[in-house]
Amino acid sequence: MGFIRLVIFGFIGLTVVYFSVSIYSRSVRKERLENEFDANHPDGGASGGRDAFVSEGLQSYDASIRPRLIGLIYVVPTVVIGTIILVINAN
Amino acid sequence: MRRIKITFRVLVFLLIGGVLHYALPQRDIVRVVNTYQERQDLNDWTRIFWARPDDQSATLINRDVQFIQTVKQRTMLFGFIRRDSTEVMVYRNEDTGWSWPFYFKFDTANLQTEADDLLSTAEEPKWAVMTHYGWRNEYFSAFPNAIAIRPVENPNVTIIPWFNIAFFIFLMVAILFIRAMWRQFRERSVDPLLDAAGHQIDEVQAGVSARKGRISRWLGSWRAKDKR
Repeated sequence: MGFIRLVIFGFIGLTVVYFSVSIYSRSVRKERLENEFDANHPDGGASGGRDAFVSEGLQSYDASIRPRLIGLIYVVPTVVIGTIILVINAN
Repeated sequence: MRRIKITFRVLVFLLIGGVLHYALPQRDIVRVVNTYQERQDLNDWTRIFWARPDDQSATLINRDVQFIQTVKQRTMLFGFIRRDSTEVMVYRNEDTGWSWPFYFKFDTANLQTEADDLLSTAEEPKWAVMTHYGWRNEYFSAFPNAIAIRPVENPNVTIIPWFNIAFFIFLMVAILFIRAMWRQFRERSVDPLLDAAGHQIDEVQAGVSARKGRISRWLGSWRAKDKR
């Protein structure tokens, strides 16, 4: 039971962290794209050009390796806990 | 107000520091003198100083606990400075299982055997490094929980707390990361909303004053004209 409780609450906690980090990472990327567009088009550019540029950049972000790396949030604690169990209980 | 704020911060800091000091591993240089097992009553608030090896132990009002009696080298300043004298220290030896604090210790019986194997006398001391967490408090009958023991040749061995170093680095990084996330969230989500709300309030106020202007002008048209 203790093990199941740890798994369930650990999963809930890590899911919260996962979504927070995902949203943060995407938001930082979006801000950078917006700033990039504004730097290249000091006059404001064509109408709708900014939104198109940003959504295109976000699409390529979604396809990149970065959002997948955030999945390590689930992997690393599991590996750490496994290592701790082995080290603590090794004879 | 400022003083309340400072007091509150100090209290939070002390609370977190206390929890970390209780739960993080520490190492003592010890000489094992004896081990024993004793029935412990667990049905008052000092229950928090005992582990929960498994689920049925959560409801027990008493159970047997193993102990390791040692003579330990005295230290000060969180164990960083060693002193030349010794004191006695008694450790409990309990599984922590899958619950807090997360040591995942299941090898209590093995550890007790290792401690028994290291029994020694003051004349022929066998020194060992005892890893443990928790506090010894005589008035609450609280004992630190032994995690691991390893023999050392020389009681003056240097111990580097690698785990604690890594833990505090991780803690710093995590705090800075959460701060960055919070700032990003405010900048991108909360501030625009507040700006929009502020803008709307401005518009409403402007509308009100314009209407007021119209009403007072209308009222003014009923007032007597300046008779000159």
